[in-house]
Amino acid sequence: MMRKISAVLVVVFFGLVFSSLAINYTERQSLRPLAESYVKLVPQDLGAPNVITGILLTYRGFDTLGEVAALFMAAAAVGLLLGTSDKGRGQSAAELPERPKPSSEIVQSGAQILVPLISIFAVYIIMNGHRSAGGGFQGGAVIASSVLLFVLASPRYRVDLAFFSMTESVAGVLFVLAGIAGLTFANGFLDSRVLPLGHFGAFISAGAIPILSVLLGVKVGCELSVIIDRFRA
Amino acid sequence: MTSSVVLVTGLALILIGMWGLLTHRNILRIVIAFSLMGTGTHIMIVAIGYVTNGTAPIIDRALTLSEAPARAVDPIPSALVVTAIVIGLAVTAVMLAYAIRLYQSKKTLSIDAFTESKW
Amino acid sequence: MAEMIGSIIILLGAIFHFSAGLGIFRMPDAYTRMQAGTKASTLGNVLVLLGLAFLHPDWILKLLLLFGFVLVTNPVSSHALARAAHVIGIPMARETGVDALRDVRKRGRGAT
Repeated sequence: MMRKISAVLVVVFFGLVFSSLAINYTERQSLRPLAESYVKLVPQDLGAPNVITGILLTYRGFDTLGEVAALFMAAAAVGLLLGTSDKGRGQSAAELPERPKPSSEIVQSGAQILVPLISIFAVYIIMNGHRSAGGGFQGGAVIASSVLLFVLASPRYRVDLAFFSMTESVAGVLFVLAGIAGLTFANGFLDSRVLPLGHFGAFISAGAIPILSVLLGVKVGCELSVIIDRFRA
Repeated sequence: MTSSVVLVTGLALILIGMWGLLTHRNILRIVIAFSLMGTGTHIMIVAIGYVTNGTAPIIDRALTLSEAPARAVDPIPSALVVTAIVIGLAVTAVMLAYAIRLYQSKKTLSIDAFTESKW
Repeated sequence: MAEMIGSIIILLGAIFHFSAGLGIFRMPDAYTRMQAGTKASTLGNVLVLLGLAFLHPDWILKLLLLFGFVLVTNPVSSHALARAAHVIGIPMARETGVDALRDVRKRGRGAT
């Protein structure tokens, strides 16, 4: 009873704070000065039509590196909690069947159609990060979802953890090296103007942003795939 | 007007998630409430950056270079939310891993069984 | 005129989505909840895409691709969930009449 009353009080209090936020909110008619300068600077300075990817990978590139570190911490935590050690999972290992059951035919047929489509779509999202909506993080998440479908359809497939860990570490090291290259040859850490800007809107353009997108997509995809594989029974 | 509706929806989702977090006793429902709060926060952040009659800040056929500063929506909140969604997925995975370990140790999914660390 | 039709169809799709949520809330056991969630929300998706086709006629090819994709993925994922629920033995509601996979449950592991 006390618990319910205190829960109601907390929710009512937050509701009052949020309602004061919602009442005083008026829609903006024009951009704030910082946003306006970003919208003007990214196409002409970096040569990238997608303003959001330009911000994420150049002007706020250090924050992206921090988010990648947070993702790595989450993957390490899941690996610690669900790691494959026999000591920690004593009695649950005895209840497992010797070989995993095959999945049903509907899931297998569906996966045969869907896994190639989803993988191609993920690669398209990563490669087109600088031209239209997309980027490294989103494409990595879609890659992980295609790995999840594949694992569901063939339960006997074991994700090669060594290969994924090595790929992810190499991608992370290359990302930081690209940042240091920006420090040496251009204006600052993770500056993408080390490579030529190219024709606006072309496939190979916008400096080092496509390369950074690909590295980010590979790293995030491998990390999320390893997380998904740890949940296997 | 449009973004006020979206803002109120986001705030309502945060309140609903908070209520579910504090009331339910089943661990999996608490994880769902966390995820709901995260989604509500993302919606709210994106709604704040709306400019009246604006469109996405991507320079293509719909938004030419010269009219971009006048008609584009604020790109900074969208950039924050893009990474936040992926990290929300990883944090939900960590919470579910905790739930699995808790279930393996006590064979029950109710958090009333784990009171030994409360004062 | 086309805008009015498109908006009404999108509203219908939203009503179906709401009924999917209501079904998940009110159904007695896991299997009926999954059925309500998948069928009603897939139909809601399809209706929203159809309404969008009325509002933006030049998007019809993309919307057709989306429609095919949604129709392939939603049932497959719900089938995988329901299958897994049956295998680990989640009990059915008392009003259930027929269990088509009762032999599979009795035989235990080792069969699909």
